[in-house]
Amino acid sequence: MLGEVSSISNLLEEEIATMAARMKLKLKTVFVLYFMVSLMGLIYALMQLGQQCDCAEHDLPKDRAISRLQEELYRLQGQIRQLEKAKQPEKKQPPKSSLSTIFVITPTYARLVQKAELTRLSQTFLHVPQLHWILVEDSPRKTSLVSNFLMKSGLTYTHLNIPTAKERKLQEGDPSWLKPRGVEQRNEGLRWLREDRKTEPGDNGQQGVVYFADDDNTYSLQLFEEMRSTQRVSVWPVGLVGGMKFESPVVEGGKVVRFHTGWRPSRPFPMDMAGFAVSLRLVLANPDACFDGEAPMGFLESSLLKGLVTVDELEPKADNCTKVLVWHTRTEKPKMKREEALQVQGLGSDPAVE
Amino acid sequence: MPKRRDILAIVLIVLPWTLLITVWHQSAIAPLLAIRKDEGAEGRREAGGQDSKEYCASDKDIVEVVRTEYVYTRPPPWSDVLPTIHIITPTYSRPVQKAELTRIANTFLHVPNLHWILIEDSQRRTPLVTSLLRETGLNYTHLNVETPKNFKVRGDTRDPRIPRGTMQRNLALRWLRETFKNNNSQPGIVYFADDDNSYSLELFEEMRSTRKVSVWPVAFVGGLRYESPKVNAAGKVYGWKAVFDPHRPFAIDMAGFAINLKLILSKPQAYFKLRGVKGGYQESSLLRELVTLNDLEPKAANCTKILVWHTRTEKPVLVNEGKKGFTDPNMEI
Repeated sequence: MLGEVSSISNLLEEEIATMAARMKLKLKTVFVLYFMVSLMGLIYALMQLGQQCDCAEHDLPKDRAISRLQEELYRLQGQIRQLEKAKQPEKKQPPKSSLSTIFVITPTYARLVQKAELTRLSQTFLHVPQLHWILVEDSPRKTSLVSNFLMKSGLTYTHLNIPTAKERKLQEGDPSWLKPRGVEQRNEGLRWLREDRKTEPGDNGQQGVVYFADDDNTYSLQLFEEMRSTQRVSVWPVGLVGGMKFESPVVEGGKVVRFHTGWRPSRPFPMDMAGFAVSLRLVLANPDACFDGEAPMGFLESSLLKGLVTVDELEPKADNCTKVLVWHTRTEKPKMKREEALQVQGLGSDPAVE
Repeated sequence: MPKRRDILAIVLIVLPWTLLITVWHQSAIAPLLAIRKDEGAEGRREAGGQDSKEYCASDKDIVEVVRTEYVYTRPPPWSDVLPTIHIITPTYSRPVQKAELTRIANTFLHVPNLHWILIEDSQRRTPLVTSLLRETGLNYTHLNVETPKNFKVRGDTRDPRIPRGTMQRNLALRWLRETFKNNNSQPGIVYFADDDNSYSLELFEEMRSTRKVSVWPVAFVGGLRYESPKVNAAGKVYGWKAVFDPHRPFAIDMAGFAINLKLILSKPQAYFKLRGVKGGYQESSLLRELVTLNDLEPKAANCTKILVWHTRTEKPVLVNEGKKGFTDPNMEI
C-alpha cells in the first residue's frame, strides 16, 4: 500500500518537476506556493467563523443575549412554519408583497372600564400587521377620551360615532342579553368601509377581511393570521360563550356540517359575533347586507350572514375548528359603592382624572 | 530518505485539505449565525421605527392616521442598559385562565427587558400554562406551589380575609433571592401583576426608574374610581387618598407599587405575611419591612395619571354544560 502511494507521489513529483521546469521554477517554490495558498484559504475560512471562536471568551451577558436571540430565531421559524401550514392553497395567489388588510370593526360605549378595555385591546392589535381598526362610539359626539387614546395608540384607525336610538338602548337594570347591542355602530362601520373603498379603485383596494371584534373579548394573535385567507366567510370556535366552555362549527371533510352549541341551535348561523370573518370583497359585492336590529335575540349574526353565504360555503379555520383562538370574556362592572357614598358628601374623586 | 520525503510530501498535500474539511464541518452553523446577526440588526432598526409618527390633516368628522408599516419584533430585543422588570404573576386554573394569560402576554410582548415569573396555584405545572408560555416567546420562569385547602378562597366569594396568591408571590420572592445574589450588579425592578388587570405600556417605563419603592394610582380599587397616594408639593408621599381604611401603613393595591430588586435582595426576611392578615393589609405586610413612607417615589406625573386598572373578569356562565359537560373536554380553552 505504502509502496503504491509512494510510487504515486513519485509520479506526482516528476510531473510537478516537469511542469516547474517548463515554467523555469524550482520544485520547492511550487510546494511553498501551494502551501501558502491553502494556508490562506484556511485562515480566510477561520475568519468567517471567527465570531464563534471569540464568543467563548465573551462574558455572560452577551452569551445570554445570544441564547435569547437564538430562542427568538427558533420561535420565529416555528411561527413561519405555522403560518405556512395555516395558509390555504389558493388558485389565485394574492400579491405576495403585501398582506391583505384586516378591518376590525369595534363598537364601544362610555363606561368606567372603557379605557382599560380599549388599552388592552390595542396592545393585542399592535402585534398584527396590516390591521385597520374601525372604532365606532355609541355617542352623539366623539369623546376626547377615545380620540386621545387612538392618537397615542400607534394603530391605523378610523374613529366614527353614531348614537343608538333611545328605545334600543339598554336601561340601567336590564340584563345584557335583553336588547342587541352595537347594531347601529357595526352597520355604521360597514357603511364607512363601503364608502371608503369606492375611493380606492383597483383590485388591491378590494382585498381584505372584515372582523367584528367587541372591546371586552380576548383574541390570540394566531386568530388574525387564520382569518387573513378568508375567501368568503370563515368560521372558528369561540370560547366561553353560549353558556358553555366553547361554541364551535362541526367540520367533516373540510366543510361545516352543523354547529355545536347549547343555545338555540336551530338558528341559521348559531355562532357568536367573534366567531366569523367576512371577506371585504363579499361585503362590497352585497352593499345592502347589514345587521338587523329587529332580529330576535341571538339572530343578529344570522341576519347579516344569511344574505352573504350558505352554511355549505363556510370556510373552517383554527385547524378545522379544533382550537379555541378567541374567548368571549366579559369584564365585571367595578363596585363603586364608596365612590357613590363619597359623592353624596361632595368628596368624590377628581372626575377630571380619566 | 526518499521514503521520508514522500511521506512528507503526502502529509503536506493532505494536511490543508483535512483542516479545511473539519473547519467546514463546523461551519454548518455559520449560516445560522449569519441569520442571527440579521435578526438582531432588524430588530434594532424596527424598534426605532416605532417612534416615527405621521399625522394626516383630515376633516374633523373622521380622523384617520396612516402610519408607515412596521411590525414589532416580539418580544423587543434585549437591551444591556435597561433594568429588567421582573413581573410576578400568580395564577390558578379556571375557565378564563388561558384567555387572561393570552391577553396579558400580548401586553408584555411590547415591553423590553421583561422577565415574567408565573406561579401556578397547583400541585404540578399544567401543560396549558407550559405550552402557552413557550409559544409566547417571552423571557419567563414557570413555578408552582399549591395553597393548602384551608387557605383557599371558598367558592368564588372574594373573602378579603383569605389573601389569594400569597404563597405564590412569596415563592417568587424566594426564587429571586436564590437566583440573584446580592453582589450582582444586574439592575432589576420587581412588580406584582395579577392576570386579570389592565396595564398601559407607559406604566412599565415609569417603574423602570425605581430606586427603592415607587407608587402610583390604581383604578377601580377600594370601591372607588381610583385610589392614589397623596403627594405634597415637595414630591413626597404623605398619605393615601382612599376610603377603605386610609390609615393602613400602605393603603395601596398590589398593582400600585414596584420594588427595586436590590432592596428585595438586601432584606431577605421580607415576605408577604401569610396568616392573620386583615383584608387590605397584605401589601403593607411586605412594604413595611422594606421602606418608610418618606422613601416612596411617586410616579405617573406625581400620581395624577391612571396607568393601571384593577379590572376583574366575569365568571363565565356555563349553565348549558349541564352535569355531564356538553362540550368536548379535550378542547383546551
